[in-house]
Amino acid sequence: MRRKQIVQPSDPAAVATVVMRLYVAGGAPNSVQAIANLEAICQQHLKGNYQLEIVDVFEQPLRALADGVIVTPSLTKLSPLPAAQVVGNLSDQSKVLLALGLQGKTP
Amino acid sequence: MTTTRPVSKAESAHPEAEVAFAAFIRRLAHDAATLRAIKSGKVDAILDPASGRAILLPEAREALRRGAAPANQILATLPREEYQRLLAAGLEPVTLALGEVLHEPGELIRQIYFPNESLLVSLVTRIQNHGALEIALVGSEGMVGLPVAQGIGTASVRAVAQGTGTALRMEAARFCEALGTCLALQRALHRYTHALIAQITQTAACNRFHQVEARLARWLLMASDRLQSNLIRFTHEWLADLLGVRRVGVTVAASALQQQRLIQYSRGNITILDREGLKASACECYQKIKDIFDCA
Repeated sequence: MRRKQIVQPSDPAAVATVVMRLYVAGGAPNSVQAIANLEAICQQHLKGNYQLEIVDVFEQPLRALADGVIVTPSLTKLSPLPAAQVVGNLSDQSKVLLALGLQGKTP
Repeated sequence: MTTTRPVSKAESAHPEAEVAFAAFIRRLAHDAATLRAIKSGKVDAILDPASGRAILLPEAREALRRGAAPANQILATLPREEYQRLLAAGLEPVTLALGEVLHEPGELIRQIYFPNESLLVSLVTRIQNHGALEIALVGSEGMVGLPVAQGIGTASVRAVAQGTGTALRMEAARFCEALGTCLALQRALHRYTHALIAQITQTAACNRFHQVEARLARWLLMASDRLQSNLIRFTHEWLADLLGVRRVGVTVAASALQQQRLIQYSRGNITILDREGLKASACECYQKIKDIFDCA
């Protein structure tokens, strides 16, 4: 299987499902950390109302290049617009929340 | 995965090679923001448009190589040089996602996997008109693709990832070659084979004779041991498939365990609140399987 995907069912009561793509480098430390950090943020702030696709750049490097990814881990918010990108292991939660448009919203 | 070690040219201890590699990285990271990201130490790999490949940064590669204590318990028992030999022969990190199928019954096993503590893999068999049933659970204590170690290239069951997690994997053919020279690994796999057969045997009896609530408690404890966590992410549908029962059966059993304050569940997250209490609710199979693994 080339593409990794986690799809959380969206909450019909919520207005907009956040669609994200996280590019990782196999089981490299920052990549593992980024997945864990993002899952914690989603758990706390999105409560299942999100779709997250995890793409391993060792498996799909051309796709990552086509999407303009230069380094990994790299998180891209695809919708709702505006699109946004965060690079790194996502340990800076406020930066991730800002990119996801969640800053200032209570969990 | 064919590109985990594209930086082999830079693996040399020669400083010139390191300087050349650093220059190569700077060329790829042509903007200040990317260079800052690399310098921060919070990224692992860089994409090279010219070769169309992903390149692991030296720090990440070293961290993977160092990994003084591999998370997988079989690999953790190996002498350092034997583990290094496996890495050199192509043992490589991979991220797996929920539902990812590692092999199907009747198919060639192309890769073997050593799950880390973040990953669970179910070995599942299908019975016509009755759906699927889990016959064994593999986590950081084990290996997926064990028949390869016995010289059998074809899978007899489906192996499916039970969540997002990481593993070290290797092409089956290269693993067979390396296994011939890795005596500690051979011994570790003999012990694991014994323990896995015991798990499958006990699970078969458990599925026939024990109630859903006790089986669910047994399964949650086994999953928790392997994940080294009290938090397990599973839906009732998925658990029903694994235990070979209807969804409502799992819901009733989970509700009973929750009412006893042994677990708490919501939105696919199951938290074990009282481990000892859950053990008391589980059938004898949990302890029997655990004892055999611990002694193997």
